[in-house]
Amino acid sequence: MKIVVAYKWTSDPEEATVGADGVVNWSRARPGISTYDPVAIEVARGLAAATSAELIGVTVGAKGVGTPLAAKAALSRGLDRAVIVEDDSLKGAGQAELAAVVAAVVRRIGDVDLVITGDSSVDVAAKMVPTVLAGELGWPAVAEVTDVTGQPGALRVGRAVPGGAQVLEISGPAVLATSADATTPHVPGMKDLLAAGKKPVEHVDLAALDVPASSAVMTITGRARPARKERKHQLLDTSDPAEAAAELVKALREVGAL
Amino acid sequence: MRCDWVHGYWVHWQWVRCEKGFGMSVNAWIVVGDQPAIGNLITVARSLGGDGTIAAVVAGPRAVAETVAASGVDRVVWCGTPDGSPAEASAPAVAEAVAADPPRVVLGGRNPGDRVLLGAAAAALHAAVLTGARSVTVGADTVTVVNAVYGDISDETVEISGPVALLLDGGSVPAASGAGVPIEEVTATPYGVKVLETIPSEFEEVDLNAAQRVIGVGRGLKAKEDLSLIEALAAALKAEIACSRPVAEGLNWMGKDRYIGSSGARISPQLYLAVGISGQLQHMVGVTGAETIVAINSDPNAAVFAQTDYGLVGDLYELVAEITSVLK
Repeated sequence: MKIVVAYKWTSDPEEATVGADGVVNWSRARPGISTYDPVAIEVARGLAAATSAELIGVTVGAKGVGTPLAAKAALSRGLDRAVIVEDDSLKGAGQAELAAVVAAVVRRIGDVDLVITGDSSVDVAAKMVPTVLAGELGWPAVAEVTDVTGQPGALRVGRAVPGGAQVLEISGPAVLATSADATTPHVPGMKDLLAAGKKPVEHVDLAALDVPASSAVMTITGRARPARKERKHQLLDTSDPAEAAAELVKALREVGAL
Repeated sequence: MRCDWVHGYWVHWQWVRCEKGFGMSVNAWIVVGDQPAIGNLITVARSLGGDGTIAAVVAGPRAVAETVAASGVDRVVWCGTPDGSPAEASAPAVAEAVAADPPRVVLGGRNPGDRVLLGAAAAALHAAVLTGARSVTVGADTVTVVNAVYGDISDETVEISGPVALLLDGGSVPAASGAGVPIEEVTATPYGVKVLETIPSEFEEVDLNAAQRVIGVGRGLKAKEDLSLIEALAAALKAEIACSRPVAEGLNWMGKDRYIGSSGARISPQLYLAVGISGQLQHMVGVTGAETIVAINSDPNAAVFAQTDYGLVGDLYELVAEITSVLK
């Protein structure tokens, strides 16, 4: 039995800067495992332990996603091994392209019963890679998953829906995107990091994968920094809170916000 | 030119510019799950121009298909409802319907079920997928999308040759227009997904986009009980209460539909009052359209102050109580 966790090694746009020309500068950002992916790994680890499944981490992206440091950071969270596609042609790849490459890796690994992903990536936050991935594999996808029990082939999946929650039963292979609060991931300790260094990491050539050709060619023809509303940046004196409150309410009435 | 609500901004859609003149056919598909809230998708599809058709494929209950059939679209395909299955189980029928009549553009809303259906359609078409469209221009051979990326810090203009799938805010439930179109029922073997149990939320549902004034609560609030202080202010302000992501996910003090940010709600109220919110990019991107932003935070260095009209540095408990009493 095999469970794959697809994770992303990337940076937080909070740490990026944008030039007047709209070009994003990531040089000061420190890459890491995307914020919500440790949740996916933790949920998958729990299921793998309960079902004696092998837990395989998969990541695809540009140069840097497969450095020993990056691989160890993922493996130390409880993966048994990792399969990594590191190719600069994937720099800035769209959701559909990333999903197609992950699907090709899942097919290559073979006999995978389940793919688990995080809620959304910290950089793009599109929430579409797991759903396109499922489409590529011909498997069902379920998002906002809060817990997974049972066996692959007869999974019991809790998930949040608008207005409440549901318990689903899934009878075949599936792609599950965990909700951001599905669990609280543990912080790997020194022992986990040492063990991670000994776990197998397989680097796969993008060219060696059977990735279906996209019918769409995307070309970026321009970039711009979006115009933001000018803000007043007025700090009110709060040494007397009652006066500050009165001043704020007066100002809000004047601008028509009340 | 028309104005629409897309991706958190009022934008001018002006892409009814068929470069090869009239008569160009731009076909669009809209994928629909178990909620017919697709008003914005219909507006966008209609704006694509030419004499092409707008078709919708519905994987939800028959009532949803009926609402969609009366909304002014040209064609409605309904996948039926396999016994006890969620909308996601009908993804193969949705993908098949869309691939059988390939569009230039396929549109879907942001709720979890619709995202799955859009992903299935995109994979079947081998389409490009974009999730931050501010505008779309359809040309003779290409579709050009201005697409907000990386928490909306940059707008990329992307030219796509081939089909494109766009994830957009669904909008409201469309009003009935005209006599409606017949519903075509299709079948395909659904995925083996069954709903065993549905549990209603302990929280009341909210439409933050309908609120003129919104108070956002962050982790500066120390305890769930302290929400009563915020509720008093909300009553005095006639405001809705929203929050940052950890308050809804993690602390679980409110429903998920109340958190604001890049993966949550994007709102443009008259007034946004951020209480105990640090001002992370992923949160603030959800309120860039607010007319006036006020922040209350005890940390004078909080990032939120760089993004506000009026800032109050101090104890939120004290300041919120004072503002409430002034309003009364």
